[in-house]
Amino acid sequence: MPDAVSRSLRSPRILMALVLILCIGGCAILAPVVAPHDPAEQNLVSILLPPSWARGGDPAFPLGTDSLGRCVLSRLIFGARTAMTVAVFASIGAMIIGSVLAHVSGYFGGAIDWFIGRAVDIWMSFPPVILSLILMVGLGVGLDKVILAIILVDWTRFCRVLRAEVLIVTRRDYVSAAQLLGFSHWQTLIREVLPATLPLLITLVSLEMAIAVVVEAILSFVGLGVRPDQPAWGQMIADARQYVYQSPWNLLLPILTIFTAVAAFNLLGDGLRRTLDVRLLDIGR
Amino acid sequence: MSILRARDLAVGARLDGAVVPVIRTLSFDLGPGKILGLVGESGAGKSMIGRAIAQLLPPGFAITAGTLSFENQDLLRMAPAHRRALLGRAIAFIPQAPLTALNPVMTIGRQFDEHLVRVDLLSRTKRHEKAVAMLAAAQLPQASEVLTKYPHQLSGGMCQRVLIAMAFASNPRLVIADEPTTALDATLHPQIVRLIADMQKENGTAVIFITHDLRLAAHVCDDVIVMYAGRAVEHGPARSVLAVPSHPYTRCLQLANPSMTERRALYVIPQQMPSLRELRRISGCHFAPRCPVAVEECRRADPPDVVVGTDHVSACFRTEATRRIVTARSTIPGATAAERPLLQVDDLAKLYAGERWFGDTRSIAAVKNVSFSIAENEFVALVGESGSGKSTIAKLLVGLERPSNGQILLDGRDLIGSTGALRSMAVQMVFQDPQSALNPRRRVASIVTQALEASGHSASANERLARAQMLLSEVGLPADFASRFPAQLSGGQRQRINIARALCSLPKLLVADEIVSGLDVSIQAQILALLARLRSELGFAMLFISHDLSVVRHLCSRVLVMYRGEIVEQGRIEAVFSDPQHPHTRALLSSVPPENPASTWPFSA
Repeated sequence: MPDAVSRSLRSPRILMALVLILCIGGCAILAPVVAPHDPAEQNLVSILLPPSWARGGDPAFPLGTDSLGRCVLSRLIFGARTAMTVAVFASIGAMIIGSVLAHVSGYFGGAIDWFIGRAVDIWMSFPPVILSLILMVGLGVGLDKVILAIILVDWTRFCRVLRAEVLIVTRRDYVSAAQLLGFSHWQTLIREVLPATLPLLITLVSLEMAIAVVVEAILSFVGLGVRPDQPAWGQMIADARQYVYQSPWNLLLPILTIFTAVAAFNLLGDGLRRTLDVRLLDIGR
Repeated sequence: MSILRARDLAVGARLDGAVVPVIRTLSFDLGPGKILGLVGESGAGKSMIGRAIAQLLPPGFAITAGTLSFENQDLLRMAPAHRRALLGRAIAFIPQAPLTALNPVMTIGRQFDEHLVRVDLLSRTKRHEKAVAMLAAAQLPQASEVLTKYPHQLSGGMCQRVLIAMAFASNPRLVIADEPTTALDATLHPQIVRLIADMQKENGTAVIFITHDLRLAAHVCDDVIVMYAGRAVEHGPARSVLAVPSHPYTRCLQLANPSMTERRALYVIPQQMPSLRELRRISGCHFAPRCPVAVEECRRADPPDVVVGTDHVSACFRTEATRRIVTARSTIPGATAAERPLLQVDDLAKLYAGERWFGDTRSIAAVKNVSFSIAENEFVALVGESGSGKSTIAKLLVGLERPSNGQILLDGRDLIGSTGALRSMAVQMVFQDPQSALNPRRRVASIVTQALEASGHSASANERLARAQMLLSEVGLPADFASRFPAQLSGGQRQRINIARALCSLPKLLVADEIVSGLDVSIQAQILALLARLRSELGFAMLFISHDLSVVRHLCSRVLVMYRGEIVEQGRIEAVFSDPQHPHTRALLSSVPPENPASTWPFSA
């Protein structure tokens, strides 16, 4: 494993992604310190200001203000808090449910596998965005509800992809050997199967974070995400939509932020896949 | 005129910035209608010659010196377009793995047709006629029906026949067959080899026959070249090379192969063929570090080619000493087995449910009515073609599958109902493929002592390391291997680890499923010697599953012959092999080429 870490840190994709994610994550954690204003503070005399470098900009508001005169930079920084919280918790939650079911399903096979497989099939036949919207309507708005909705929609992705990998690993002779040596099913799964599926699992988590950021933005955009007093990137896009001709900046900036965050997570996932996937290493040898 | 002529051909591989020779100064002449055998273990460089002809060397490999000419045309310096025109027409290839060489989404007919279009047969009906004729010549019954099939609808042997028919369809002057039987069932080997020889004779084609089987080569080829670490160590008429091997490597290899007629100890060549990296450190003769008759001179200079007979050349300073390499005659098949049965299997059966749509529940019997017993300390062989149910019996014995019917008693106790921990103390398995049987993420020490990690054990890290070092020394590996990963080991070393892990809990019965079939002859001899030594030191019985009758004859005292899920014949090996009763046993026995190159074999060329 230390070998895998050092290999990862030598990959330019992973390094670039980590720098971006650390920037966004740092902003999220240190939001009250780095943000120039309170994100809810309204300044009705200076609404829809352009960024400070554009004509008519105010240095007090580096990225301008929105229709209520709130500082766009501060809202982006506090929005990162929402996005990162959702990304981390939703993807880990979906990973736990999905990977536990995937390992049980792929390892034991038979009726359990059939049952879990059909459950995933049915679950995946709902359009994911519609399913999460319905869930949000049922659950009500709030950060925890967004996380829950994403977990309930996206566990299937982990389950399906990981199950295939578990199936391959379970058929290797060393898994049979462990069973013959008296390992319990639990021991075999944790010590023989999981270490082999872990690289794929880590990769899937980083890709899922990108998806979670997008889903959170969509839900906030339609007003079914976090509470309205909590800044979120999707919400900012929704607000800016009405004034897009007066102030295109307000629309472009949150879109650019979402793009950067998603690209960083995807880059990380792709980089991890390339460095952790043993099969790709074999080809290079 | 010779069809293919190589003069001082050398192939080099780029390694850490330097060029290491993979083939050194290879020279030969292949006349029309002759078969030249290239014999050697893996890593000897024998496949490079085929790749050199097609100019399909792996990345980093290049021809560094010498000439290679086909009918007096220089193959190395000819224009690529010209070479492409020769390949597949005048020069044809028979691949190693028939199933991967055919396109799975095209019918045999279409693939054959495409090939014939390249050979310039323009009329469609003519091509069809030619294809049918060639398939019939390849002894495929109902040739026109075979043409409508997809590769997966044919067996491996049939696919190889199709490929052989395709190779000879263009009336080539040269055919290169690279281990054409390795991927096929042992009972098919003689028929495929015979087919190649027949087609070759009929068309007067020259053939390069690449194989690892010295005995097979002696019966099929006119001339053989024995390769070791990139050098042709012995070159001469096939029968002469096998009757009077004059390079120590050829002699050792011959003695490392178990005999079908006499009981003798195997000659165990120490270590393994040097890797490219190790080659750079060896000065003088490459075989010297493993050679039993090497002297100081051998380590100083590369030996010259010494003429030892008519057209028979050996690259050795000590061709005289080679004759003195002998092995002891062993009279007993290892330790004598006790009378008391250890394992008793009665009426064992395993059924697999077939398709279960709409009530059609036909089940397939993988194993039925199987009864046998194994005494303490006894090595019993289980032989049969692939798909005969050998591996199913192994899985039933160790508990990876539950039998549909029957009884397995070990020491009088029912094994089927016993729990995991008890069972794992009594029966263990050594797997066929050491690559897949060892967890790549565990270190060797952790793998061999894995039994101590199972529930019910509480061994400290120090205890485990001590046990690991003991097990490593038992299987003949140095103690510092404990901290290595499986990827850092060679195939033979991995198989030793595999055996050590099974022995950790000191089982009474070992089930070994084709554990030497993937190994080279010299490594196979090492493992067989190891198993015999471990039995006398530790005492255990073994069910040894194999398709190689000579290995079985060497190691075991009794044999069970399986055919289509049933044991059709069983008894003491000498009795069964000298007087086989069942036709299938006879078929298995006749597929082994006899040791004496002068004796006749129904499949000889």
